[in-house]
Amino acid sequence: MEFLLEINVEEMPSSHVKTALSDLKEKLTRELEAAKIPIRDLRVYSTCRRLVVFADLAEGQEAREETVTGPPKAVAFAADGTPTPAALGFARSRGIDVGKLEIIRTEKGEYVGFKKIEKGKGAGEILAKVVPEVIGSLSFPKMMRWGEGQFRFSRPIRSLLCLLGGTVVPFELDGLASSDTTTGHKIRSPQKITVKSFQEYKDALKDNMVIIDADERKKNILAQIDNLLTPLKAQLYPDPGLLEKLANDVECPFVFMGSIPEQYLSLPLEILSTAMREGQKLFSVVRGKKQIPYFLGLADAPSDAKGFIQKGNERVLRARLEDAKFFWEHDLKKSLKKRAPALKHVLFQEKLGSYDDKTQRLKKIVAYLCHKGEDCRDEKDAIMAAELCKTDLVTDMVREFPSLQGKVGGLYAKAEGLPAAVSQAIYEHYQPVSLEDESPSSPGGTVLSVADKLDSIVGVVGIGIQTTGSSDPFGLRRNAQGVCKIILDRKLNFSFQRLLEKVLTVYGDKLKRPKKEILDYCREFFLNRLRYICERRGYRYDLINAALGVGIDNIHYSFMRVKALDALKASPQFEPFILMAKRVNNILSGQPACGAVNADLLTEKQERDLFSTFSIIKENVIPMIAKGDFSQAQTIVFRLQPCLNDFFDHVLVMAEENKLRKNRLALLQAISKILTQMADYSQVVVEGEKPGAKK
Amino acid sequence: MSLQNLIMNLQRYWADQGCYLAPSYDLEVGAGTMTPDTFFRVLDKRAWKVAYVQPSRRPTDGRYGENPHRVQKHHQFQVIIKPAPADIQKIYIDSLTALGINLEDHDLRFDEDDWESPTIGAWGVGWQVMLDGLEITQFTYFQQAGGLEVFPTPIEITYGLERLEMFLEEKDSFYDLKWSEDVSYRELRFEEERQFSDYNFNQATVRSLREWFSLAEKEAEQLIAKNLLLPAYDMCLKCSHFFNLLDSRGAISVTERVKMIAQIRALVNQVALKYAGGEGKS
Repeated sequence: MEFLLEINVEEMPSSHVKTALSDLKEKLTRELEAAKIPIRDLRVYSTCRRLVVFADLAEGQEAREETVTGPPKAVAFAADGTPTPAALGFARSRGIDVGKLEIIRTEKGEYVGFKKIEKGKGAGEILAKVVPEVIGSLSFPKMMRWGEGQFRFSRPIRSLLCLLGGTVVPFELDGLASSDTTTGHKIRSPQKITVKSFQEYKDALKDNMVIIDADERKKNILAQIDNLLTPLKAQLYPDPGLLEKLANDVECPFVFMGSIPEQYLSLPLEILSTAMREGQKLFSVVRGKKQIPYFLGLADAPSDAKGFIQKGNERVLRARLEDAKFFWEHDLKKSLKKRAPALKHVLFQEKLGSYDDKTQRLKKIVAYLCHKGEDCRDEKDAIMAAELCKTDLVTDMVREFPSLQGKVGGLYAKAEGLPAAVSQAIYEHYQPVSLEDESPSSPGGTVLSVADKLDSIVGVVGIGIQTTGSSDPFGLRRNAQGVCKIILDRKLNFSFQRLLEKVLTVYGDKLKRPKKEILDYCREFFLNRLRYICERRGYRYDLINAALGVGIDNIHYSFMRVKALDALKASPQFEPFILMAKRVNNILSGQPACGAVNADLLTEKQERDLFSTFSIIKENVIPMIAKGDFSQAQTIVFRLQPCLNDFFDHVLVMAEENKLRKNRLALLQAISKILTQMADYSQVVVEGEKPGAKK
Repeated sequence: MSLQNLIMNLQRYWADQGCYLAPSYDLEVGAGTMTPDTFFRVLDKRAWKVAYVQPSRRPTDGRYGENPHRVQKHHQFQVIIKPAPADIQKIYIDSLTALGINLEDHDLRFDEDDWESPTIGAWGVGWQVMLDGLEITQFTYFQQAGGLEVFPTPIEITYGLERLEMFLEEKDSFYDLKWSEDVSYRELRFEEERQFSDYNFNQATVRSLREWFSLAEKEAEQLIAKNLLLPAYDMCLKCSHFFNLLDSRGAISVTERVKMIAQIRALVNQVALKYAGGEGKS
């Protein structure tokens, strides 16, 4: 049976539409399954003004046979087989003829009773209850009320179309009754449309200038873009987020092209494209990496026959570009260095001070990183970049286009003629803004970005602001992920603990939380972010836990440990080795430290063999671990497994004699010490063990 | 075509919708939302329909008359209807048609843009309305004012008059607009923009502004204590304006800024609480 639901709303933000659709699909499926209504097909569609569900459902709950048992056979029938009053009473109370009673055999003996067919509720009845509940349960990051209702949703709901097999599923939601009508395009075709089926609905909307399938709209948009750009041999300046949003925001996509006066094309591409994107949501058109004098825009209209849409947009864009050009020229009259004092008046965080305070801290952290990381040798440039990196906050350009902070500073530094290392570092120091974004490409940008993000994290944690599931007002998670990504991408090699301590020292007595608490919190916070990144990259959770479980002081190395385990997990030595390592672990658990191994006390051949093999392996492996070559170290350590096997087979570790026992434990402890530099093998789940027992 | 025609057309349209046409408020405000005809009327439970032109001052937006569409004083046409009718979006769209805009030839979009005013503790959910890429209106379902939930939910429609007229006259600069057939925007406003920009950015005496701010703050406090909520709110508006001037003079430090906004908001919140509780009425 065909089911169709359309929630008709005023324009919803595209992010809300996305979550609403997946929630709607999931919750409706769950409720229908719980109500035992078989679903043959269920799809969702949307525009910013409609959330649509189309499904093919069974007509109702499946009929099921139910057995009703009455009194025991012995009580129900007399010896001669005639029904007793008990049987008669039971039959009467259930409205069934006594002759229809059957004998039902159960574990407890024989009873009388009968079987009946329970017809089950129709899908319509279930939907009338479930649909309004599901709509009411949808939640959004920000919800609102409208009119006189108490109901909350992303935006006002204006009508509800709900059909099952061509008839209305009747229900009410906050005073709004379901119906079989919808409306067409808000401007071109706002009249009511009555429909009976999904096909009719889709066709009617198409006739009334609405495409309900987002993919179809996107394809349509891309084809139009292609038609316009191919003759120009030009491309869109890549902006996937914008296309996604626009495909949501229009019901009737029409791509138009407009032109940009020549005099604005000398502005940097970053500024041009941002001026186009923000506000009017226009696409910048490039050939290679150069803006050409055109833009594309998307209208919610069938065409632009009179050219008003194009001309209107050109006029607005011209004004914005005129502003941008004015800002560019005007800002350049005052150097970044001269702007620095103004940062005293720009708040970073109330308790952490101004951006000038932040700048002073960044200089110190950057200097430290230049000494520690081998990455950045040119300390002077890096410190100059730190000194100037926030000064673009007091330029008109960034006031106008806040999303360009950093980039604008870099562009101005370049235009001022500062060293390339400085302008590049400033330009890149907010990168990566997400895990999809690029890490800074220059050494200076790298250290500055790490310093900036850590300064924010330590500071915000240090004044006791908690980052919880949904609340992360300072973007600490994004910042921490950024730091991890940079370290992994650039293979940075330094003690994270000492860097945190350095940042704390730089803060002086500004942070009220005890130092140890801050350090512990940050470490745990980063551990979780690093784990998240590893999971996103597809590594097995138990390998991640094993590799990170032995510490993340060197973040780059801890990731190399994950990679080493992952690379070797399929090798034949892996599983026997892990089991052996676990055995070593188990036997040592609870044992006190037993000091150094005394070679003279190794009485058995197998323990002498183990000791000498281990000594050779240790010598080889230590420099590899120091270099971070965990893959190779791990492969070599695998060779311990046969010796350990022989050892356990022939040597009694827990020997009677105290001296021997202590010596054997000391040998195993020495081995364990090397192993724990590579992973906490107890966390690895191997076949034969119950997965999930350790997590 | 002229600004005053636009104003008259909007007044006619919204009066026909049952709005009372309020005179502009006679104090400096940053937006039409801040005047008592909006602020107090959204706080109680009674139905309310009002429309008015409100000159709105934003000292930091001054450009000495040199920028074609940025001014330290612009004009808003503010509409409040409480409760918001179910077909309010259509009523609004029809208002544009009533101005002679044939929407079939244009691209009208409701683009996500929630509105918030920290000083008066107000926020709402809504859109900026874009006409061929030009923002002409802010369309907002009010959710909170003075830190209190508002109910029933009012709709606030704020037309930017200069921008809308730019669209109608197809002009690129405010100063090229006509206020009436004979008087241009330039004639009326250019000198004012030039002089006030100089005042806002350079000449306003910081010490006096600070003093006036604290005097107005004290006055608000003593009026609140006496349940004289309407004059108390006026004093809050004065605080807000002095704060804006101090801001454009670049005289407010980092921490001070946060503190001053919080001070004003706290006063406004007290006024709102008392008003909603029915205090201050004769």
